[in-house]
Amino acid sequence: MDLNIAIGGPQGGGIDTSSNMINRAFAEAGYNVFGVREYHSNIKGRHSYNHIRVKEDRPRSLKYPVDIIVALDADTIFEHLEDVGPGTKIIYDRSFESSDLSQARMIMRDTARRIKERLDGAGFPNTVKGAVAYMKSQGGVPIAVPFNDVVAAATSEGPASRYFNTLGSAVTLSIAGLDKKFTIEAIKQVFSNKEKVVAENVKVVEGAYRYAAENGMAGTPLKVLPKKKRFLLTGNDGSAIGKLMGGLRFQTYYPITPASDESSILEEHEDFAFIEAEKKRLKKGGVVVVQTEDEISAVTMAQGAALTGARSSTATSGPGFSLMAEGIGFAGMDEVPVVVTLYQRGGPSTGLPTRNGQSDLLFALNTGHGEFPRIVLSSGDVEECIYDAMKALNYAQRYQLPVIHLIDKNLANSTDLVPEIDLKRVPVPQTLRTEPLPDFHRYTLKTENGISPMGYLGKDIFWMTGDEHDELGHVTEDTEMRDAQMRKRFKKLETALSEIPQNDMAVLYGPQNADITFVTWGSQKGPILDVMEDLKAEGISANLLYLKMFMPFPTQFVKGILEKAKLVIDVESNMLAQAAKVIKLNTGIEIEKAILKYNGRHMTEDEILKAAKDIYEGKTKEEVEVLENGA
Amino acid sequence: MAHNFKNDVTVDWCPGCGDFGILTSITQALGEMNFNGNDVVAISGIGCSGKTPHYLNMGGVHTLHGRSIPYATGVKLANPRLKVIVPSGDGDMLGIGAGHFVAEGRRNTGLTLIIYDNEVYGLTKGQAAPTMQLGEKTKSLARPNVFGKVNPITLALSSGYSFVARGFSFDMKQLKELIKMAVMHDGSSVIDVLQPCPTYNNVNTMEWYRERVYKLDEDKNWNPVINPGEESTIDEKFQKAYQKGLEWGDRIPTGVFYDNRTIPSFTKRLAEFVPNYLENPPSEQIVAATDGYTNVDPYVTFADKIIQ
Repeated sequence: MDLNIAIGGPQGGGIDTSSNMINRAFAEAGYNVFGVREYHSNIKGRHSYNHIRVKEDRPRSLKYPVDIIVALDADTIFEHLEDVGPGTKIIYDRSFESSDLSQARMIMRDTARRIKERLDGAGFPNTVKGAVAYMKSQGGVPIAVPFNDVVAAATSEGPASRYFNTLGSAVTLSIAGLDKKFTIEAIKQVFSNKEKVVAENVKVVEGAYRYAAENGMAGTPLKVLPKKKRFLLTGNDGSAIGKLMGGLRFQTYYPITPASDESSILEEHEDFAFIEAEKKRLKKGGVVVVQTEDEISAVTMAQGAALTGARSSTATSGPGFSLMAEGIGFAGMDEVPVVVTLYQRGGPSTGLPTRNGQSDLLFALNTGHGEFPRIVLSSGDVEECIYDAMKALNYAQRYQLPVIHLIDKNLANSTDLVPEIDLKRVPVPQTLRTEPLPDFHRYTLKTENGISPMGYLGKDIFWMTGDEHDELGHVTEDTEMRDAQMRKRFKKLETALSEIPQNDMAVLYGPQNADITFVTWGSQKGPILDVMEDLKAEGISANLLYLKMFMPFPTQFVKGILEKAKLVIDVESNMLAQAAKVIKLNTGIEIEKAILKYNGRHMTEDEILKAAKDIYEGKTKEEVEVLENGA
Repeated sequence: MAHNFKNDVTVDWCPGCGDFGILTSITQALGEMNFNGNDVVAISGIGCSGKTPHYLNMGGVHTLHGRSIPYATGVKLANPRLKVIVPSGDGDMLGIGAGHFVAEGRRNTGLTLIIYDNEVYGLTKGQAAPTMQLGEKTKSLARPNVFGKVNPITLALSSGYSFVARGFSFDMKQLKELIKMAVMHDGSSVIDVLQPCPTYNNVNTMEWYRERVYKLDEDKNWNPVINPGEESTIDEKFQKAYQKGLEWGDRIPTGVFYDNRTIPSFTKRLAEFVPNYLENPPSEQIVAATDGYTNVDPYVTFADKIIQ
């Protein structure tokens, strides 16, 4: 089975709850799900949707056209006009049919204009009825469900519209052929066993399944797969879990999308549990999460905590990261172990606050004035978020510098079923020290690898300054000391390059030699791995040079692969092909072909495949293919 | 033997600078309180005041312009046992760092903020600082100051600071006592220190201040303290403090304006939610199991995210 679902409705209308039901119901039946959440910067009313894919083995990407569109409001039909293909089932309420595009005030004006042009061009009326007819002309199968009647027949508790999301999910699951018991189990989980709410929603599920059966919509029963214990996680969850496992005990943040979910998750789990073997030995403690007055405060407060020995970090997105520049510079100059998790969204400025982007790579590599070492790493899926967050904290401690962990919005808001969390994959060094260091020189030059012993406020007496400093940490403008301290700081980067395993910096997926070599980072990893299989089925071999660390940069490894590659295609969610620029800077190799997307929506398997084939087969003379999928 | 809080780093402030009086008051106050060098830390910003930590024999961080408060807050929250003093300039606290200054009043973390208030940006050659009067013309200004002044006392009160005082750097006896009270205060405290800049401020000189300063407690009825159980006097004492805070010109009050001991510090508020926070704060936690891997169990901690 390979099922793609788009479920949409008004923001605040329970779309997340619906998706959660669908995810959990399939998971209960042993299937794997993967999804992405798309939403406006708006609290109530504007269009939001979840794109979900269900498979027996783990889906890694999403695909258009979808198999089922669930429209919980009229806008969804208009917004997803182009997402249908032959056989796409369109579930909606017949009462939407009279809705006119000109009255759809919550659709962005430019979007409405484009929809109008499309409908007018194809000769369909500007109503939902017309839009559905258009979708039908593209092969879609409209399924009008009387939402109000079905709900009213099931429950009279509260307004019917309250249950539209449950109804939409249940109809979808029924069409997919999923046994009702899994849907009911999902309802219980989603509503956290709140008896009354569960009972009413179960009635709606029963009603939806009954309606589907009576109207010949119910799908062939799906086989039930062996059920496994799994985590249903987003990228935000993954990073929060990894941080706690990696010893994080102090986190700061200023509210910003899509970063603050991570801090909220940490706050919800501030009273964490120790592993069984350690419960007796350890004193109970918690993680301190502080909402600050701005991001300048967030990045500097985290450093204050780090200076006492606490593992600490902050999480932000582009606009907040811009404010953090001076603080990151201090961490570089003063060798403060601090992790900044940078959730990238569409920029510049406020940009696309709730949409995807990978346009902060060059900024992350150059944040702050002056020259100082830092580590910049990136994650590409939810599991990587967990272990990379742990590693980021380790790097910060080991090399005493700012570590910037890049996660894109698409990944932050992806949901994935993670089969297990490996407690022994990443070691966690204990750095707690109770005795002061004698004759302590915080920035001693007597070091081969550039790393000096870390000092802890409250234990050691030492000084620090954002000025250039001597070994004690006092201000200096001496020429030789300046040179020596600059070299010492940058020596740490060489040390890091020699100590960090190759696989944590870059990975080659697929055969050594291939017709196409993709280069990417972040959340395109999954889609490209799927595209590689699609290409293989068509007799085209492909591999993927997947980048995880940009500073220090795995120059030799990358060079080795690109020098012998036949056709290299760089795939990124930005306009300037920033990773390709970093490669050029480090290796001198210029990547000529690129597939780029900067409309803020997630890259899907189908569009990458098409663009890659166009480039491979010479159908396009352009060096850059720009992708446009997504509502 | 008592720890000596002075060290041997050469002090490069101008001769006659008011900063010397503050430095001496700090070292004397901490010495008299019998602290050790690792019981106290100093977190400063930028400028002449920012150099203070280098002249103290204790943990010291000379941070970024305006950012001393958030750095200090991080230190205090991660290790609440520490006494954290924040010697920073009027520009640091009330100009570039004004947002942090206001936010810290709300937090009441337990920092001792010492504002070096000389009305000028000395290290950059005497531009007007946020505490300079509108229309004031010092010798380093090309034209009279076109900005109004921020009142450190009333801003501190409005922001929620639970201890607000003013000292004069040439009255070290009083300043030392104010610092001791502020350090022992459980919440965050502000001491606005009138500190003449002999090089760039030729208006608000030592003599100018000497003619004007008086002590609030010269009035035997002055009682700014609110102890637990006396919450009903908060409004009245706050208003009196605010009134006194507005006084400026021929007479300038010094001493304690407001000392509210009923507001729980941020560390106490956190202790209500974070397990064992005060006994086992972030700085003291063991983060690894004996086998060198994580000691946090994600299966139990994040059980809400597991599909069984």
